Order: sequence, then C-alpha cells, then structure tokens
Amino acid sequence: MLTMNNINKTFQTGDIQTHALRDFNLTVNEGDFISVTGPSGSGKTTFLNIAGLLETFTSGQFLLDGKDIGNLNDNGRSRVRNEKIGFIFQGFNLIPDLNLFDNVDVPLRYRGFNAKERRQRIEANLERVGLASRMKHLPSQLSGGQQQRVAIARALATDPRFLLADEPTGNLDTEMAQGVMSLLKEINGQGTTIIMVTHDADLAQQASRTIQIKDGRVSELEIVAQKAIA
Amino acid sequence: MFSYYLKIAWISIKRHWGLSLLMITAIGLGIGTAMTTVTVNYLMSANPIPHKSQQLYYVQLDSWDVNDPYDDGQNPPDQLTYTDATNLMKAKKAYRQNVQAQAYGVIEPEEQGALPFMVSARANSADFFAMFDVPFIYGGAWSNDADVNKEQVIVLSREINERVFGGENSVGKAIRLDGNIFKVVGVIDHWQPKPRFYDITTGAFNESEEIFVPFSLIAEEKIRRSGNTNCWKPSSDGFAAFLASECIWTQYWVELRNEQEKQDYMSFLNAYVEEQKRFGRFQRPLDNRLSDVMQWLENQEVVADDAKMMMAMSFMFLAVCLLNTIGLLLAKFLGKAPEIGLRQALGASKATLFSQYIIESACIGLAGGALGLLLAQLGLVAIENLYGEYMKGLASLDANMMILAIALSLLSSVIAGIYPTWRACNIQPAQQLKSQ
Repeated sequence: MLTMNNINKTFQTGDIQTHALRDFNLTVNEGDFISVTGPSGSGKTTFLNIAGLLETFTSGQFLLDGKDIGNLNDNGRSRVRNEKIGFIFQGFNLIPDLNLFDNVDVPLRYRGFNAKERRQRIEANLERVGLASRMKHLPSQLSGGQQQRVAIARALATDPRFLLADEPTGNLDTEMAQGVMSLLKEINGQGTTIIMVTHDADLAQQASRTIQIKDGRVSELEIVAQKAIA
Repeated sequence: MFSYYLKIAWISIKRHWGLSLLMITAIGLGIGTAMTTVTVNYLMSANPIPHKSQQLYYVQLDSWDVNDPYDDGQNPPDQLTYTDATNLMKAKKAYRQNVQAQAYGVIEPEEQGALPFMVSARANSADFFAMFDVPFIYGGAWSNDADVNKEQVIVLSREINERVFGGENSVGKAIRLDGNIFKVVGVIDHWQPKPRFYDITTGAFNESEEIFVPFSLIAEEKIRRSGNTNCWKPSSDGFAAFLASECIWTQYWVELRNEQEKQDYMSFLNAYVEEQKRFGRFQRPLDNRLSDVMQWLENQEVVADDAKMMMAMSFMFLAVCLLNTIGLLLAKFLGKAPEIGLRQALGASKATLFSQYIIESACIGLAGGALGLLLAQLGLVAIENLYGEYMKGLASLDANMMILAIALSLLSSVIAGIYPTWRACNIQPAQQLKSQ
C-alpha cells in the first residue's frame, strides 16, 4: 500500500549537502502498526514528512496505493493528504483560536463535506476519543492528553487510510502516553494503518512492527519485531 | 467555502484585534483622505446638465487688442462686448440664444415695517430659462417680446418669493426693485447647478441668483450690472459710451441642436466678425469659438490645479498607508505560520490558503473602507467649513463615491494582501509542524 524505493533526500545549505535519506526502501502493508525509532538526526522525521507528502524527495520512487505520487502538483498532494493521510504531532498542533468542534472541522471543510456530514463526523470522532461533551471548549482549556485526543479525532475525521504520528506521546506523562497508545492500538485494530515515530522503546515495542532508521537508511536487519498486537 | 473563509477571517480579526485595528485605521485614513479629494474633484468636474451639455455652446469672439492679445493669444476673451452680444441677439441665428450679465438690486417689500434688502440678480434673455432647464414652481419665463420691449418683468427664486410673498403664487403681482415696479412672471424652484456653468466668470461654485430680469433693462439702467469687466481700449464718459465700448462684460450662450446647426452658427459668427473688421474692429486673426458645456468648464479650469495636486498627494498618502498595511499583514500572516503549516497538512492547497488569506485582507479592507467613508465625510465637512460658500453643496458623498470608496478599499487591501499572502502560502509545512 505504501512503497518507497531508493528514496533519497538531500538538503543543500550553501556548498554543503546533507543526505537526510539515502536509498531508503520500505513497504508498508494495509493494517500495519509500524513504530519508527532511531537516534536524533537519523532521518525519522524526514521519512515521515515524505510519507505524509509534506516534503518532496530528491530521487527515488514513492507509490501510494500503487500510484506514483512523485509527479503530483500541489493540488494533487493536498488532495491525497486530505483523503488518505491523518497526522498526529508531538505538539498536538490544534488551532488555539478554534474550539474543539471547529478544530476537527478543518480537514472536513477541505474535503468539501456538507454541514450535516461534517457535524456527524465531528461528533462521532470526538465521542470516540471521549471528548464529545467538550466540543465548545478551546484547546487551552484541556490537558495535554486531552488535546492529543482531539488531534487524533481530527486525524480520524476524514477516515484516512494512514495515520502518521510524530512522537505522539512526547509531551505527555506516562499515564497519558499509555492512554494515547491504547487509543492508537484500538484505531489500528479497526483497520487504520499507523506509522509512529517514537523515542520511547517501550511504546515502540507495542507496535506490530518496529523499524530503525540510521544515517538515513532502513536496514532490513534493523526490523526488530513483527508481531500481532494483542 | 466562502462563508468558512469569512468565519475564519472574523475569528482572526477578533483574536488579533490590536493589529487588525492598526490595519483598518491605516486603510481608513488612506481611503478617507483619497476619497475626500476625489469627491471634491469629481463634483467639481461633474457635468451639470448632462442631457444637453453638447447642445449648449458658449460663444467667444476675439475683439481684443491686436498688439496685446488676450490670455497671451491662447484663448479669445472669455466675455463679449455689449455691442457684439446685442448684435448677435438681434440676428437670432441660433435655435435659442441668451445674453446675460451679473447684476444686483434692492427690493423694497410692500409689507409695513419690512426693510429693503439687497439681492443678487441675473440680467438675461428669455431663452435662459428654457436653455438651462430652470424649474418653475409658478408661472414661467418672460417672452422674447418682453426682452425687445424692455418690459419690467421679473422671475423670483423660491427664497425671495417666500420672503416677500410668504411662498404663495405671486405671478402677476408687483414688486419694487431699485425704485421701479416689476411684474412677477414666474417663481423658480431651488436651482443650483454645480458647477454654476452658465457663468463661470463670477465663480463656478457661487449660489444661483435670487432674481432674474431682462438683460435689455441694463441699457435702460433699470437694473445695475456687476461682475467682471475687462477693457483694452479707453471709453468715453457716460454709461452709453461704456455700452458702446470694447469692454467685455457679457456672457453669450446659444443652443444648437445638431452639428449642422453648429457649423451654420460658426459660419455666421465668422461672417459677423469679417463684417466688423470692415468697420475697423476685430483686428486680430479670426478666432471665434463655440465651446460646449464641458469644453467650457475645461477651458476655464473649473477643477483647480491645486485640487488636482491635492488628489495626487492624497493617493500618495494612500500608497504609504498601504505599505504600512503590507508590513502589518506580513507580520500577522507570518505569525500564523504554524497554523498555515497545519492547514496544509490537513489538506489545504496553496490556492485554498491564498483564497482564505486574501479574503481576510479584503475583510480588513472593507472595514477600513467603512472607516474611510466616515473620515471622508468628516473631511468634506471640514473642507466646506474651511472654504465656506465656495464649497457649499460640494461636500457630500453620493452613491457613486460610496461605491468607489468601497471598491478602492477592497482593491487596496487585496493588493496589499497579495505579497504577505504569497509569502504565507509558501511556508514549508514540515518545518512549522516540527517547530510547534
């Protein structure tokens, strides 16, 4: 479903070239829950950004559902992001001026759903993360764990095929982190493919498959686990 | 999506109200200043009689000194001599013709205890009223025979009729002017063409006169003439000698219904001047002119150069305000970089974001336009107070000017918003999302 073949990503700063990804190869299958680990600067976030179509790559091939997305223009990339990918960030990235309802509404607006459809999806997803009763609250009125749940509700509202999570528990205490992790596992159990970047080895181990990135490469030998989630 | 963009713009404006207020004020000041001067110029250069401005012609003949041309030879004199005006009137070669001059007099009311008072007057021909579409409440114009026979007839303004006759129909009644009894033949409604095109020589924006009497009564000294008088040749003593002199003090208008009538009338003027040359007059080369209303206003520079200069400066000020707005919008939109990155991640294309932020700019522009309209109105009132009678009636924004103000503010804000919006849309989402 997601295939990266020999992806390279190079940053140019003056005369200096930095290789963030080198001949990066990865195949992600439907229903996978992949945790991505690796030291700082190894290329984890670059990989996630390319997978999320937030960044372009220098060379290689990236197939999503069998379609080469390397040649898509800005509109095409935006449409794919909106329809197929959901994002969860370490810093939650909720819009502070909008209440929970309107925050979850953002991707639905860009999809073009009508008002009734949007309301149903917003209510259903806030219900799913246990925050339906607080939909008129502003993000600042919630705890970190609750904010991340709203971010997850927003990511799920468009029924994405993929959920890309960049350190989703990085700003949470252990209890909250475990709560978010349980939610992600539940979502994966319902069929959504998840790719999660994390530094937390314990959380990484809870994924069905763990890969390690080092110096911009995935070594097949570094695939440390592939197991069914309990 | 448009309503969504409006909602987001409103939330953003509320959230950053200080910055938004600064931008609205900057645009409002710029629009207010520009619209004040545009309105003054617009009203000054308005066509005061649009439906027939191309049928009314002001007549100029060059009777001036051969050795010292009028206006350095650029234009023939702006008025006619009494001799030429009365000769043209007698010829009656136009569909309608009117000779006129400014005058004044003192009205002595019949009412017991009422004091005499001075009035501004126009001495004109019977055709004046039909040519310039003067509206009557009671009665009408005097006849051409009244002009020829020098009848003491008078047309009153609504205000004078109110003052002397209490506003009732005074047609047929007598009124004493400068010791002479005049018969009222008509009362006109409020009539104040802006500019007062029919006599630019005594002020394009002065009030219309309070009474109107036949021009032929000037020669009879039944009404006292005033206005501008220019002479290049000394005349003998006495009023009769003055009338026969080369002094210019009358204005002459003709109504010509089509191009053929205009050509015929010009031929007549040329023939008239050639004939006068044989009597030793009109020593300068032939330079007769027929200017329609707008040509005449242009020729007389009714829109003053300093008004044009003020308008140019006000637009420069608007440009400065817009530059400030660009800076403020840039600060605002770049401050929203994380949100822009997030919206891109959630599926907003650059085109979508561009629309969203341009609409926010336009909303700020609209608010600035509303403030600008208010400031323009205040500016016009200030100008009216500053210039007094000269600008009275000019200081108002009509529907056209209001639409222009809103359009100008929208255009200005959209132009000001293009660069900040373009910068905002080119933010790399990946960097913003990570830096949150």
